[in-house]
Amino acid sequence: MTVHIDDNLEQRPDGAVACRHCGTAVGVAAEPLRDALVRERDPQDAGPSVRAEPAHFTDRRVVLRLTFCRGCLTQLQAEIVPADEPSFRTRNLAVGR
Amino acid sequence: MAHVIGIDIGGTFTDAFAADETGRVAGVKTPSTPPDFSQGFLAVLDELAAALETDTRSLLADTDYIVHGTTSTLNALVTGDVATVGFLTTRGHADSISIMNLEGRYAGLGADEVQDMVRTNKPAALVPPQLIREIDERVDHKGAVVVPLDEEGARRAVRELVDAGAQAIAVSLLWSFRNPAHEQRVGEIIAEEAAGLYVALSSDVSPRIREYARSATTIMNTQVGPRLRDYLQPLEAELRARGFSGSLLVMQGSGGCVDSGAAPARAITTIGSVLTGGVVGCMRLAGELGHRNVISTDMGGTTFLAGLVVDGEPVSTTSTVLNQYQLSVPMVDVHTIGAGGGAIAWLDAGHNLRVGPRSAGARPGPACYGEGGTEPTVTDVDLLLGIINPDNFLGGRKKLSRELAEEAVRTHIAEPLGMSMDDAAAAVYAIQNAQTADLVRKVVVTSGQDPRDFVLYAFGGAAPMHCASYAADLEIGEVVVPLGPTAAVFSAYGLAASDIVLTAELSSPTNFPPPPETFNAAFGQLRRELDAQLSEQGLKFASVGYRNEADIRYTMQLAEVETPVPSEELDEAGLETVGAAFGELYERLYGKGAGFSEAGLQLITYRTRAVGGLSIRPRLAEVPPAEGDPRPTSSRRVFLDPRHGWQDAAIYDYRDLAAGHELKGPAVVEAPTTTVALPEGCVGRVDHLGNLVIRYTQA
Amino acid sequence: MPVIPVAGSEEFANRPVSPAETRRAVSDAVRLHDVDAAAVEAVDPLTYEVIRHRLTSITEEMGEALKRMSGSVVVTDCNDFDAAIMDEVGEVVQVGLYNTQLAASLDMAVNWTLRNRCRRPGIGPGDMFLCNDPWVGGGLHQNDVSLFAPLFVDGEIFCWTGAVAHQVDLGGVSPGSWSVAGTDVFWESTPIPPVKIVEGGEIRDDIEDVYLRRSRVPRLVALDLRAKIGANNVAHERLRALCQKYGAATVKAVMRRTMDDAEARLRAKLRELPDGSWSSVAHQDSARAGDREIYKIVLNLTKTGDRLTFDFTGTDPQVDGLINCTYTGLRGGIMPVVLTMLCGDIPWAPGGIARCLDIVSEPGTINNCTFPAGIGKASVASAWATTNVTTECLAGLLDSHPEHRQRLMSACCGTWDFALLAGVDQRGGGFVTMLCDSMAGGLGARADSDGVDTGGLAVIPMGRVADVEMNEFAFPMLYLWRREEPDSGGAGRFRGGVGASSCFIPYDSPVGGVHLVVSAPGKALPLAPGVSGGLPAGTQYDVLLRSTAIRDALAQGRIPTSLDEVGGERELVPVHLETGMGPDDVYYTHWQGGGGYGDPLLRDPAAVAADVAAHKVSRRGAEEVYGVAFDEHGHVVEAATRDRRAALRRRRAGLENEEVPA
Repeated sequence: MTVHIDDNLEQRPDGAVACRHCGTAVGVAAEPLRDALVRERDPQDAGPSVRAEPAHFTDRRVVLRLTFCRGCLTQLQAEIVPADEPSFRTRNLAVGR
Repeated sequence: MAHVIGIDIGGTFTDAFAADETGRVAGVKTPSTPPDFSQGFLAVLDELAAALETDTRSLLADTDYIVHGTTSTLNALVTGDVATVGFLTTRGHADSISIMNLEGRYAGLGADEVQDMVRTNKPAALVPPQLIREIDERVDHKGAVVVPLDEEGARRAVRELVDAGAQAIAVSLLWSFRNPAHEQRVGEIIAEEAAGLYVALSSDVSPRIREYARSATTIMNTQVGPRLRDYLQPLEAELRARGFSGSLLVMQGSGGCVDSGAAPARAITTIGSVLTGGVVGCMRLAGELGHRNVISTDMGGTTFLAGLVVDGEPVSTTSTVLNQYQLSVPMVDVHTIGAGGGAIAWLDAGHNLRVGPRSAGARPGPACYGEGGTEPTVTDVDLLLGIINPDNFLGGRKKLSRELAEEAVRTHIAEPLGMSMDDAAAAVYAIQNAQTADLVRKVVVTSGQDPRDFVLYAFGGAAPMHCASYAADLEIGEVVVPLGPTAAVFSAYGLAASDIVLTAELSSPTNFPPPPETFNAAFGQLRRELDAQLSEQGLKFASVGYRNEADIRYTMQLAEVETPVPSEELDEAGLETVGAAFGELYERLYGKGAGFSEAGLQLITYRTRAVGGLSIRPRLAEVPPAEGDPRPTSSRRVFLDPRHGWQDAAIYDYRDLAAGHELKGPAVVEAPTTTVALPEGCVGRVDHLGNLVIRYTQA
Repeated sequence: MPVIPVAGSEEFANRPVSPAETRRAVSDAVRLHDVDAAAVEAVDPLTYEVIRHRLTSITEEMGEALKRMSGSVVVTDCNDFDAAIMDEVGEVVQVGLYNTQLAASLDMAVNWTLRNRCRRPGIGPGDMFLCNDPWVGGGLHQNDVSLFAPLFVDGEIFCWTGAVAHQVDLGGVSPGSWSVAGTDVFWESTPIPPVKIVEGGEIRDDIEDVYLRRSRVPRLVALDLRAKIGANNVAHERLRALCQKYGAATVKAVMRRTMDDAEARLRAKLRELPDGSWSSVAHQDSARAGDREIYKIVLNLTKTGDRLTFDFTGTDPQVDGLINCTYTGLRGGIMPVVLTMLCGDIPWAPGGIARCLDIVSEPGTINNCTFPAGIGKASVASAWATTNVTTECLAGLLDSHPEHRQRLMSACCGTWDFALLAGVDQRGGGFVTMLCDSMAGGLGARADSDGVDTGGLAVIPMGRVADVEMNEFAFPMLYLWRREEPDSGGAGRFRGGVGASSCFIPYDSPVGGVHLVVSAPGKALPLAPGVSGGLPAGTQYDVLLRSTAIRDALAQGRIPTSLDEVGGERELVPVHLETGMGPDDVYYTHWQGGGGYGDPLLRDPAAVAADVAAHKVSRRGAEEVYGVAFDEHGHVVEAATRDRRAALRRRRAGLENEEVPA
C-alpha cells in the first residue's frame, strides 16, 4: 500500500519514497530524503522573516538548509540550524515495506 | 381603557401580550416573518385585538405603550447582514481588533471546542483593512493630551473611508473614556464631511476601560445602528397611521426599555432584547408571588437559558461575548447553558453515553418530529418515557412519532450499549437533568449565591418536563411553573411589565478610596447624564429611581466586583463603608478568608442605573378557587425518577384545574403549551394566579 | 564555574512512581482510599456520565475561582495557571484548560509529599501543601507555585486537588526571579520543597512568612496564596457533596474509569497511526547574559502499536545559566502537545494518558538537569524547546494519516519573549511585572489551513493578553504601538500565524525610567520550525532606542510607526540583558509567529494577496518567498506569477543564478 508521509512525500509498497507532485524517487523508508537535493544558503535568504544577522548573537555559523525534490524542485524540508550540525530531522515509517 | 402591550419577536414566533388597568389580559402568538419582521409585528396586533374582542385601530388608540423585544440586531450580527462600517482609531493600535487580546480564538466556545485547540480559529475580521484608518492623536491614562489631534489627517481619513464605501463610521480612540474631546472633534469632522452618516463614538457607546472590547462594541453598534433605525422609523410611522399615539419602546439587554427614537444610537444594547424578557417576566411574577430570589430556567426546542433574580432585581453582567468578540454592554446575565429539547444523545469514541451540547436544532429537529432527524434527542426521550403525550404536543398542533423516537434510541444508544430501551431512555433523561443541575449551579455559584436560597421558575416548552428533577438535584425546595394567562407568551408579558432603564458609566481607574469629592463628582456627572436622557424619552414616569454601583477589585485583579453604593453624597466614612461592602461581597463570592485588603483596592468604573416606572403596570387576574378534588383525565405509564422506575401516573388537563388544587406525584399535567412532570415525592399546588407550584414532601 | 554536585539534593530528584509503590511507601502512616477493578467495571453509563460531568464542572469552578481571586496579571489577564483533580496517589483525573505544562507535574509533587511527609509532619484533614521545587514537581521553575490539598473522607485520603500559578517575583538576583546573569540555582529563588502551609484549615503564619519574605512583591504573592486556598476549598466542598450523594467508592470508580477511558481512547488512536519513528531537534540561543552558544534538544519519537516512546538521547548536557529544566520540565514540555494534538477529542485525564508514554532521557542534560543547575527560566526555555521538538515529531506522525492529520500543527511561537519591568509606578508604589503581550504569539500552520494569527501559545489553550489601556493604567508605560508583524508567520502552502510587536516608552514614573530585564531567545535562529517543507517562523527581534527625541515628536503631533521614525541610538538587544531605561529610551519587542506547512510556492496566490492586504505578509515577502506578482492595484497577475515561481524554484535550489522576473 502506498501511504502519504506528508504533504510532499509518499512511501510505496517496496519502501521507496517518492515525490507526490512528480513521482521522482527521493529516498527509501529508512532515509526518506537520501537522494534529495540539499542546498545551504544564508538564513536571511529565507525572506524578511529573519530579522537580523545571526552573527550579532552567536559566533557559530547558522545556515538555511533546504531540501528539494530533484524532479520538480518542490521544497521538501526547510531548517535554519548551526552549520556544523548534521540534520537531525528524519523519519522512518514502518508501513509499506 | 389604557393598555400596555408587549411584543416579542423571536426567530420562529412573534408573541404579544396586552393588559389593561383592570386585570383584563390577552396573549397571542403568530409566526415570525423574516427578513421583514415588522409584518409579523402588525399581524400579531390584529390577533391581539381579536382576542380582546376589539379591532386593531381601537386597541392601538387605547394603548399607552408598546414595548418591543427584537431579535433583529442580534440576528443581523450573527448572519453578518450589517452596514459597511469604517473604523477610526489611534495610530499604532488598529490591530487591537484583530489581536482580540488573543482570547478571540476561543471566547464563547464550549469546553469541548476549546479543548480541541488545533481546530480553533478567530472569527472573520470585524472591519476589513481597507476600511480602517489610524489617526495621529493620543491621550494618556490620566486623560491628559499627549499628542494633539491631527484634524487634517482625520478629515482625510474620513474622506477615504467614505470613498471606500463606508455607510457608517465607528470611532474608538485610546483613553477616550477619560477624555472624549478628540473623539467628539472627530465626530464633528465626520458630520462636516459626510452629513447624515451614522456615527458612533466609543466614549458614548461604551465609556469603559479596555480598548479591545470598547472598540468591538462600538463597531458592532455601528454595524446594526443604521439597520435598527431603518426598521423602527417605518414601523413607528405605520403604527401612527393605524391610530397609535402612545410610545413605542424598545427592550434592551439590560432588562429595561428605551424610547424607539433613542434606540438606534445605542443599538448594541438591544442584542439581549429577546433573551431578557423571560427573566423580567420572572421578576414581575416573583414580585406578585412574594419571591425575592429566583432562578429563571427557560428550556425550549433549541436552547436552554438560565438567569437570576436576586433581592427582586435581575442579576446583570457588564460584558458579553458575541461571535467570539468581547463586548462591553451592561445586560441581564442570561446564560445559554444547553441545547434544550433538541440536545442529541450520542456515544463518544470511548463508548460513553453523552447528551449535548450538539443539537438537532429546529431543523431537522428531534427524530419524533418526522422531519428527517435520525439521532435521538431529549424530546424523543421525553416522549418514550411517557411524559409527552404524542397527540397533545404543543396543544395538539404537532403530531409526534413514537416509532421514530424508538428507532433513534434503539439504534444509537440501547443496542450499542446493550441496554434495554427503557433503561437507555431513562439514562438520557437523568443525564440531561444532572447536567442541567451542574450548569445552573455554576451560574448561581459564580454570582456568589447558594442555589438553596432560591425558588426555581421553569417555563418554555420543555423546562416543566424536567424542572422537578434538576431542582431536587440543586436542593431547591420550591418550583414555580407559570401556567396562568401569561404562560404561552411569558417573555411578552415580561416586556409589557418592564420599566425604562438607562445605564450610564464612567471608567476612571484609581486607587480606592479616592477623595470623596472625586467620588461624589463622578456619580453627580452620571446622574446629570441620566436625567438628560430620561427627559429625552418624552415620557411621564410613575416613579424614578437611581442605583449607583462601583466596580472595585483588589489591586491588579482581572475581575471587578460590582459593589452597591448609596445614592447620597459620601464622606470618608461613607467610602470606607463602600470598601467594606466590597470586602463582604468578595468573601460571599469566593469564600471566607479569600479577601486580602492588604493588597489594596482599586476602583475601575462608576455606574448608575436609572429606572423610570411606566404609568401602567399589568396586573394578573386571580383564577377561580377549586371546588372539590382535581380529576385526572386518564393515567399512563411514565418514567420520571430512576429510583422508582416505571409507574402509573395520573394525567391532568390543566384546563380542569383551579386555585387550591393539589396534585401528588407521580403525575403529569398537560397544558396547552407545555407538559409538567411531577415525580413521586412532590406535590403540585395551583396558586391563586393559576401557576403550578411544586414542592418536595420527601427527597 | 562548573556545577558542583550537591550531596543531599538527590532526595528531591523525583520521578513518577507507580500507585503500588506509593502505597508501599506510605504504608500505615495515612490511610489511602481505594476501589477494586470490579467496582470500576460496575459503574453504569448513567452514573458515569453524571459524575464525570460534575468532576469537569468542579475543575472549571476551581480555575474560575483562582483566576478571579488572583492579583497577578500573569494569572488574571494571561491565564498562566491551572487546576487539577487527582486521585488518592496523585494521578491526574481532570486538568483545566489553562497552562497545561503546570498541571502535568502536579502528580509528582503530590506523590512525593505522600511518600516523604506522611509521617512527619503528617497529612491530615484541612492541610494544604505548598511547593515550588521543580525537582520535586508541581511546577517547572520556581515562579510556578503549587498548592495541593488532600480531601479526607471517612478518615482516608479520598483524593487531592491542586492549584498552581506563576508568581511574579520570589526573590533571586534579578527582579522577576529570572537572573539573566546567573550560572546556577543559587542565583535564583531558592526552591521550596512541599511544606504544610495550611494546617487544619488555618494558614501557618510562620511558614507563610518564610515564603513571602523572599519576594519583592509579598502582598501580591500573599493574595495569590489565598486565591489558591480558595480554589481548593471550592473543589473540596463540591467533592464532599458528591461523595455524600453517590458514595465515595462510586465517585472513585468514575475517577479511575475517566483515566482508563482516556488511556483506551489514546491507545485506539495510536493503533490507527502507522508505526515508525520521527526525529527532530529544537535549539536555544544563549544560556545567560553574555553567552553566545547555541544549545540543542534532540528527540527521536517512536510509535509502536499503542505506545509512544520519547527518546532524548543526544541532547546537550546541562549548562551554566538559567535555561535548564528538570524532569518535571521535560514531562511538562511533552504533555501539552500530547493533549492538544492527540487528545483534542479525548478527555484530558493526564493520569491515563501518561500511561501510553515512555520517556528516555539522561539526567544531567539540558532538559533533565540535576541540582544545582540554574532553572529560573525552565518553563519557557528547555521545557518550551521540548514542546517545540515534540510538536514537530507528533506533527510528522499525524501527517501520515489521512484523517488525523487535521489535528496537526507546526510549532507555535517558538519561545517566550520575556520582558520584565520593575521600578516605581505612577502612584509612587514599587512594582514588578512581566510584560505578557507576547502571549499573543502565532500558532503553527495546519495541514489544511493557516495558523491562527496572534492566536497564542502551544501550552495554554486559553491564553490572553491585557489591553494596552490596562497595562498603561497599571504600569508606568506608554505604548507607541502594539501590532501584528508581517512575515513573522512561517511561510508555507499554509502560513504560520503571525506574531506581533509592542513598542513603548517609560511614562509617568516619578523616577523617570524603569528597570528592564530581557530574556528572549530565537534571535540567532528561528525556534519555531515548519513542517512538510514549510519555513520556520521569523526570528525574535528586540531593539532599544536610546536618547531619542520621542517626547518632542509626540508633542509636535507625530506618532512614529517605525524604528527609523523613532530615531535615537539603536541597540540590538541580545538574548539576555538587564538594564535601565531612561525617560527618552524606547523599547521595541517583536515576538514570534508559528511555523509554516508545505512549500510556500504551492500557496494559493489569492491567499497571498489577501495576506498582503491584511498586512500579514509584506509585498517583498509575497514576491520573494511566495513568488507572487502583482499589478499596480495589488491584484495577482497569474502569468507573471507562474513565471516568477518557476524561476524561484530553480534559483532557491541553487541550479542557476538566473534573474527572477519582476
